[in-house]
Amino acid sequence: MLSHVSHLLPLELKRLLEGLPAEVKGSLEEIRIRENRPLEIAYRGGFRFVTPDGTMKLDAIGAVKPSPEQCRKLLERITNYSLYAMEEELRRGYITVSGGHRIGLAGRTILDGGVVRGIRDIGGFNIRIAREVIGAASHLLPKLMDAGRGTIGSTLILAPPQQGKTTLVRDIARMLSYGNSGPLEHLSFPGKKVGIVDERSEIAACVRGIPTFDIGPRTDVMDACPKAEGMMMLLRSMSPEVLVVDEIGRPEDADAIREASHAGVSVVATAHAYDVQDAKGRPELARLIAEGTFAHLVELRRSPDGILHRITNTGSAAQQPSARGKDQTSVFGALGLAGAGRGRAGDT
Amino acid sequence: MKLLGALLILIAGTLIGFQQAARFADRPKQIRQLSHSLQRLETEIGYGHTPLPEALLRTAEASSEPVASLFGGTAERLSMADGLTFQQCWEQSIKRGWNETSMKASEQGVLLRLGSTLGISDKEDQMKHLRMALLQLQAEEDAAKDDQRRYEKMWKSLGALLAVLIIILML
Repeated sequence: MLSHVSHLLPLELKRLLEGLPAEVKGSLEEIRIRENRPLEIAYRGGFRFVTPDGTMKLDAIGAVKPSPEQCRKLLERITNYSLYAMEEELRRGYITVSGGHRIGLAGRTILDGGVVRGIRDIGGFNIRIAREVIGAASHLLPKLMDAGRGTIGSTLILAPPQQGKTTLVRDIARMLSYGNSGPLEHLSFPGKKVGIVDERSEIAACVRGIPTFDIGPRTDVMDACPKAEGMMMLLRSMSPEVLVVDEIGRPEDADAIREASHAGVSVVATAHAYDVQDAKGRPELARLIAEGTFAHLVELRRSPDGILHRITNTGSAAQQPSARGKDQTSVFGALGLAGAGRGRAGDT
Repeated sequence: MKLLGALLILIAGTLIGFQQAARFADRPKQIRQLSHSLQRLETEIGYGHTPLPEALLRTAEASSEPVASLFGGTAERLSMADGLTFQQCWEQSIKRGWNETSMKASEQGVLLRLGSTLGISDKEDQMKHLRMALLQLQAEEDAAKDDQRRYEKMWKSLGALLAVLIIILML
């Protein structure tokens, strides 16, 4: 949705993009602005360059080239005129603005003893528009519930970038937090205490510590916190029943997840991986999967008809007493996103 | 009748003289205030990591007029969505508010130069630029005090004396 981020854009680019067809504006996922190079937009999984008269082309010839001044204005807007207050963000390479939109930055890095300290001479911006899809998990969640324990089994969601992982975990957190309501009537359970560690401020999109997305009434968010530390802090302080984290992969993340699952807390995590095989190629994920920490592995795949999912039940005894045999896979089932059209998400 | 006119000229001359003297007395005072405000801004940026619009507002709150409106005006312009860069907002606000102050072009130059760097670099760099501006203002303040010593008393009596001269010439 262009309207969510248009206030960040320099006036000229804002006018230009507002002149695009309504359908494109509504399904916009990324705006890529590179200094003195063609302006690119991504929507519906495809991309186009934008020409000065507001038409879209596949080739870059004759496209609008954002000027250095426009890029400077954009940088000032997204940093709230305060680059000095963004050191941590610049070190990571992206800035999250109000509404959960993430703006990736590229440019010349500053090194300090071989470690990246920040980016200067920023010449490339990727504005990724976050989208809240209420009900995105309504078809998936019942399959992940552990009937015996009355809570969700630990779940690892695997997908390449841009497949809607974050949208999905956000909705899982929301539905668990609300408990039995709406589409889950056949599966009754009270609302759970959910803890979200939101390192990139994308799941809850907190502004000054207050979530701007609906993540449910019983959800606590540790915002902009390193995942491993955040999980431990929440475990100690907020007694969560479900922990939600995004994009795990480092050894300390794995330790924290083990700690949580030993404490009887269900963990819902996402990771970048094409499929289960791919995930097993990453040492920390492979170990977690082999240990049976996760009861379910979910793969997401985007198709022209919407987002498909496939659940693999690892059936570890610790997590799921009714073991169902390893790698029992079902076919990809459509994640029917009621009322959400084709259920794309501009974030991962 | 003549006497009344002479009296009016004398009063006017004296007042003009005092006004000029007051400008010389106000300048170092206002430069001092400006320095305090910039120090405040430095603290907000360096230790508070406060975003610039908010840092400017807080600085304006802690300052007295006419210096406060230089900072407050910039913050106000930033909040309007008219696509100006920070530097443009800063320049507009300072040029608009400058007539209210007794300060001169050299102090304005210091502030305008500072405006081209505020907000667009890391913390250390920001502190460096602010300290540099403070040093320059310090030099201006010393010069302004010198001027005050030299011209304040002079203008106080000069106004009245010139008025007397005009009266004598008219008689």
